[in-house]
Amino acid sequence: MPYDIEAVRREYIGMEFGKSRGRYPVEYDPIRRHCHMVDDRNPLFLDPEYAAGTQWGGVIAPPSGWLAMYFASLGPWPPAFEALVPVVPAPGKQIVNLSQDVEWFDVIRVGDHLSVVRRIADVYQKAISIDPEAVWVVSESTITNQRDELVCVVRNTLLFHRTPGEVAAAQ
Amino acid sequence: MKAQQRYWEDVSEGEELANFQIEINARRAYLDVSGSQDWYPPHHDAEFARKAGHAGIFMTTGFTQAALVRVLTDWMGDEGFLKRLSFEMRRQQRPGDTMTCRGRVTRKYIEDGRHYVDCEVWAESEREGMTTPGRAVVALPSRESAG
Repeated sequence: MPYDIEAVRREYIGMEFGKSRGRYPVEYDPIRRHCHMVDDRNPLFLDPEYAAGTQWGGVIAPPSGWLAMYFASLGPWPPAFEALVPVVPAPGKQIVNLSQDVEWFDVIRVGDHLSVVRRIADVYQKAISIDPEAVWVVSESTITNQRDELVCVVRNTLLFHRTPGEVAAAQ
Repeated sequence: MKAQQRYWEDVSEGEELANFQIEINARRAYLDVSGSQDWYPPHHDAEFARKAGHAGIFMTTGFTQAALVRVLTDWMGDEGFLKRLSFEMRRQQRPGDTMTCRGRVTRKYIEDGRHYVDCEVWAESEREGMTTPGRAVVALPSRESAG
């Protein structure tokens, strides 16, 4: 059956996924590893003694939407990347993340326990160089803490595409 | 390293934020998977990446975002608050690249009693030029409020 983008748009745009809670509370070491990958040595994110003397009263997470999604999702193991991705039918299964827009309302503190509600904001088809039938999915994730206070809203655009081999085989 | 506190009054439009460079190599790619917990194969499996149509493995969104965030948090100090960050992953950072992260103040203003600064922030490489353009809104403390 040929792929019908209009049917997918009708079914999926506006679809909301139920609230899910992160497996673990926010912990020091995932923050440390996150900082380590880009040589971020800011003691506000790494040093409990230093951070206790700041206005935040303790270690906070760097304001990264990716890290917020991580803490609000399944946690460090087993890896479950697909659970983070809105499941929208597309001709291709390869994924490329294209853009992200994060608006912050509060900081994330060690010990917080985050939750997320995800919504499909848009789905459309637009060609890229390797796949004329690539599908773009815009999702919106609203992340709250254990007091139901809004922490951030992450708007993400993902691209689903076929491999060059799959495109050639379909022609 | 503790970030020096930045106050709104001390910021000038056009001011450059301190830049830094990161060598993208195999070790950095492993650090990326560890730090982002992004196990999607094109970020660590070269054969998978090539079959998917990429030139090779490339750095994750989490890594790139962490680097852009660092440009801002290194600059704004502990009392700054990153209100908004948007960025586009237009080109890839790959092993062999040197990723340079930069920022610039584009506007300062007061809105609803808060002191804001708009910034451009971006990553670039020698191979691709600008790879990841972004925009940010930072709330800074005011010397008047502090005083």
